[in-house]
This record gives sequence, C-alpha cells and structure tokens, in this order.
Amino acid sequence: MSNKNTSALGNLEEIKKVNWDKERVTNLLVRNSMVFVLLLVIGYFSFKNDGFLTLPNLRTILIASAPFALITLGQTLVILTGGIDLSVGSVIALATMTSAKFVVTYPDQFWFAIALGIFVGFIAGIINGVVVAYLNVTPFVTTLGMLTIASGLAYAIGNGAPINGLPERWGNIANTKFFGFQSPVFVMIAGFIIIGVIMTRTSFGLRIYAVGGNRVAAEVAGVNSRRILIYVYAISGTLAGLSGVILSSRVISGPPNLGSGYELSAIAAVVIGGASLMGGRGTIWGSFLGLLLIQTLNNGLDILIIPAYWQRVISGVLIISAVTVDMWATKRSSK
Amino acid sequence: MLKTKGKVIAVIAAMAIAVTGAMTAPATAAAKIKIGVTVYDMSSFITQGKEGMQAFANANNIQLVWLSAGGDVATQASQVEQLINQKVKGIIIVPVQADSLAPQVKAAKAAKIPVFAVNTTLKDSSGLTSSVLPDDVAAGAQEMEQMAKALGGKGNIVILQGPLGSSPELNRTAGIEKVLAKYPNIKVLAKDTANWGRDQATNKVKNWLSSFGDKINGIVAENDDMGLGAVQALKEANKKLPVVGIDGIQDGLAAVAAGDFIGSSLQHGRVELAAGLAVALMVAQGKSVKKTYTYVMPPITPANVAQYTKNVVTDKDAFLKRLPAVIAKNLKSGNIANEN
Repeated sequence: MSNKNTSALGNLEEIKKVNWDKERVTNLLVRNSMVFVLLLVIGYFSFKNDGFLTLPNLRTILIASAPFALITLGQTLVILTGGIDLSVGSVIALATMTSAKFVVTYPDQFWFAIALGIFVGFIAGIINGVVVAYLNVTPFVTTLGMLTIASGLAYAIGNGAPINGLPERWGNIANTKFFGFQSPVFVMIAGFIIIGVIMTRTSFGLRIYAVGGNRVAAEVAGVNSRRILIYVYAISGTLAGLSGVILSSRVISGPPNLGSGYELSAIAAVVIGGASLMGGRGTIWGSFLGLLLIQTLNNGLDILIIPAYWQRVISGVLIISAVTVDMWATKRSSK
Repeated sequence: MLKTKGKVIAVIAAMAIAVTGAMTAPATAAAKIKIGVTVYDMSSFITQGKEGMQAFANANNIQLVWLSAGGDVATQASQVEQLINQKVKGIIIVPVQADSLAPQVKAAKAAKIPVFAVNTTLKDSSGLTSSVLPDDVAAGAQEMEQMAKALGGKGNIVILQGPLGSSPELNRTAGIEKVLAKYPNIKVLAKDTANWGRDQATNKVKNWLSSFGDKINGIVAENDDMGLGAVQALKEANKKLPVVGIDGIQDGLAAVAAGDFIGSSLQHGRVELAAGLAVALMVAQGKSVKKTYTYVMPPITPANVAQYTKNVVTDKDAFLKRLPAVIAKNLKSGNIANEN
C-alpha cells in the first residue's frame, strides 16, 4: 500500500513514543493486513481439506491466476492515474477471436497469429488512451464504449459463433510445461517483476503516480500527462491481448464471450490490494496480493464444494471489507 | 418522381400478377411463400440453423425474411410486429426469453398469421400454432446413461451445469437426476455451474481434482464446451477419466472421435430449424400439423461419430443438399432428429 504514507507515520509515532509497543504492532498489522488475511484464508482451507496445501493445487491456483494477473497489472497502472479500464474483458475476447480466426485460416502462421492477438489489444488500448488523453472523455465512458465495440467485433469475427477446430499446436502456448508449471505462470511472474520494478525504480513509474496524484501539479513539474495516459491504456490493452491469446490457447478454441466480466475481477483485485480509485495510491505488490486472495478463494471454495452463488456473495463481502479496512487504515495514518 | 412512379406501377403489377396467379392457378410456382423468422441471436447453433432453413426454403419455393434480435426481448417484439405488417404467411420465433411476446403473438393471431416456436417455447403457448422443441430432459438422461454404462453402474461423478435457472440447465439436470435415481451406486461428489464455458469448466474441474484427487471416476458436462474444459483440466493434471457432453459441436465431435469424450448428444441446428420451417410451410399450405414436434437428440458414440462429423462439419454441403428430402421424411415419420 502507500509506502510513503506509512513510513511517514512510522516517524511520527516514534517521536510521540506513546504506547510504543502496541502502536507498532497495530501499524504492522494494518500495513500488511492483506498478507495476514491471505495467510488466514490459506490456513483455513488447509485445515478444512487435505487437497488444498499441495504442489498440484498450487499449480492449479497459479495457472488459473495467470490470465487475470495480466489484466490486473494493466488495470493497476490505469487506476493509479485515476482512470479505469472496463474494456479489458472484451479486448480479451477480441484478441482471442482475431488470433483464433487467423490460425484456423492459416494454420502455419502460428507466431503471426499470436502477435496479431497481442497487437489488436495494443490498438484497442491506444484508442482508449488517445480518447481519454486528448478528447478528455472520462475513462469510464471511453472504456465502456470500447467494451461494447470490442465485444461486438469479437462476435462479428465469428459471425456470432465460437470458432472451433483450432490446430492442436495452438494449445502449446499455454500448455507447455517448465518444472511442472505451465508457461503462463512464468509470464505472470515476469509481468509482476517487470512492472513492479518499473513502478518503484524508474521515473516512468513515478510519473504515473504523479499524474494520478495531481495531474495539474505533475504537468507544472514537467510531466507530459497525456503521453503517460496513452502509455498506461496501451499497456493495459496489450496485456489484455496477451491474456486473450493465453486463454484461447488453454482451451484451444475461440469463444466470442471469453473474458466477459473479467474486468470486474481485475478491478476487484486492484481495489482489494489497497489502490484508490481516485488515483495516485496503490502498489503492484498490493494488486498481486489482491489477485492471489481472489484466486485462492475461488479455488478453496470450489474445493470445499461451496456453490458458485455463495462464492459470489463471499467475494462481494471481501471487496467491501477490504476497502473499508483500507480506508480506516488510511484515516489512521493521516491523523 | 419518375422513379417512384415506376416503382408504384411495378408493385401494382406484381400485386396483380400475384392476385390473379393465386386466383387462377394456385399450383404454379410463380409467387414465393413468404415466411418470417426471428431468432434470439446468431449463436453457432442458429448459424447452422439458418443454413438448414435456407436450404429447405430454396427447395420449397419459400422466401425467408430473416431477423436476429441480438439477445434483446424488446427488439424481438418489434421484429414480430414488423413481420405481421409484412403479412408473412407464418412467423417462426426462436425466443430470446420464454416469458415474453404474449401481445405480439396475440396480434399475429388477430391478423390470422400462424406463429411457431422453435428450440425454446413461450411461457404462454396457447397462441402458438405449433412448436418444434428439443427434449433437454431426454438429453440429460441420455448423457447420464452413457456415463453410467461407462462406469459399469458404480462410481463417483462430478457434474458441470449450465447457467443456473436457465431452461436447458434445469431440464438437462432433471434428466440426469432421473437416471441417477436408478443407479444408487453412483455418487455425485460435486455439481456446480460453469456457465457453458470452457475456461470456467477447466478451472472448476482442476479445483475439484485438488479436492477429491483420485476419487472422481467420471465427469458429466451439460454441454460440449464445458466437457472440453474438463478434458483440458484432466490433461493438465495428467489424468484420464470418462467425460460426456451434449450438443455435438465441432470440437465435441472431434473429442468423441479422439476418445476424449465417451459420447455426446447431437443437437443439429440445420435439422431442428429446417423442421420448424417445414411445419410453417405445411400450415401455409393448409395442411394440418401436430401441436408439438419433439427433437430427440440422437446419441453420438465412437461408432457413429464419423457419419455425424460429415453431416455437421466436413461434408455439410452435401448434407444440406439432401436436407429438404430428409425433413419431409422426418415430418411424416415423426422422428424429427433423423439425418438419413
């Protein structure tokens, strides 16, 4: 969460030296609340079912997380600028259908089909970015429009029908294993590391925070905020395209509704991870924890045979409580 | 101005020809019989169905007015009204939603235009002249029988359901449960929805594999897509279990041929929707029809999958050529799903 805020808080508390021990423990808990919640959830599921805390189940959770991880990363950057990207689910569908259609028509153009899917996501993202940055349409409206457009195009590509009969080789993208883990798991880990480093160690990362924190101030300080906005939406779109290629490879088909509703999962992960929808506050680490918590819950609740409708109720409660705790913690630290 | 005048004259002339033609020689094939169709959306099932209807229409001097509602009840309602205004000889509805269109069906009745429901019925079916409907209960029962046979009447299964509360889900689940009552030694470890989707089914089955390990003996999926998701989950976990689906989509047929599915049930859009058109034609010609025609999905097995793959995928053009004759035969025999 907000490292700067909490470190400032730490200094303040040390000066005060009131209830030193108790304060320190509480701060530690508040700062890392999501880690503790995650450990609690893991502990509960492990206690309830022997199948949960096993290597094969770890693989299961990670491979299910990978496509969500990519759009969660993109979503984090967009939300940090104070925006939102509702279109990622549909962009997944569009990328899926584009590459599926291409690889069915030209089975030997395997790599080109992959590149095409990612490129389609990139283009959708660029369009979002340009409309938000230069036409000043709110991100919500822009990406809602793109959600509808991309979904419509995805259906148009297959004439309304799913694409079947993809070459077996298409499945290799997501089903090739290294050390027992499927390739998308490594893509996910690499994505978190790369974007995590960018956000904490480069000026580009700082500028994203700056635009989200106070766009006017950032511009006065010399940040080209429009360019930053285009970059983050382009990254979000590109990652959605990659996610689409991975998903369609995993199921070796092109369903035009693949990814529908995924945007909400990604937004939930970012919010649970402590980011503010107003922008400027949030971390990649937080989003990673949020994603892991959602995916672990999905997995564990299935393992305990909790029906899908109750899973939705639990997820909803989780989102609201996470944000409540986070707001409380923020208020505390700003006291 | 001149153009419009020309058009008006042409229309009057056409009407005159049509009227005199109808009066003097009803048997001549001069005027095409106009029949309207409104479908819920362009799914793969409907895309197939359109091909079948078109083939039947071409062979039987029918002019199809094809409309798609894009999944919207209100659009479908106005499409029915539009077809009434066009004075078509019959309206075929593949409903967006069962609980809809009552006023439109009434209006059609007042205009003496027969209305037909295909694939899904309307809640108020009193205004319908006839319907062609799949037997989803029988399909659910059929896939459960296929699984029971593969398991030798005992074992543990998991069930992947369609979107909870949708009519195919309710009926297919009812069919599965009816058969399960006959096999006390088959236990359901878990059942839940994967919303017809492969990706959701893959994750669901993987989670169940974590939960039950080797206790699962078979996977029953209420459609082929979820069955294929289950196959993917099994492959990822290096396991091999019997899986059964419903619908006979292209990849589902391939899965039966490859041995990934023990079987499926065929819902062939070309046959089902063309049968609906054939019934509408009979009514337009003044023939009597049954109130309901039931499409009983034929089982797809490793033995017959090659033939069905030809009809559905690889040799569909040849199948469409002989489809009109097949449909005519089926309406006589009552076996609507027959493909020979």
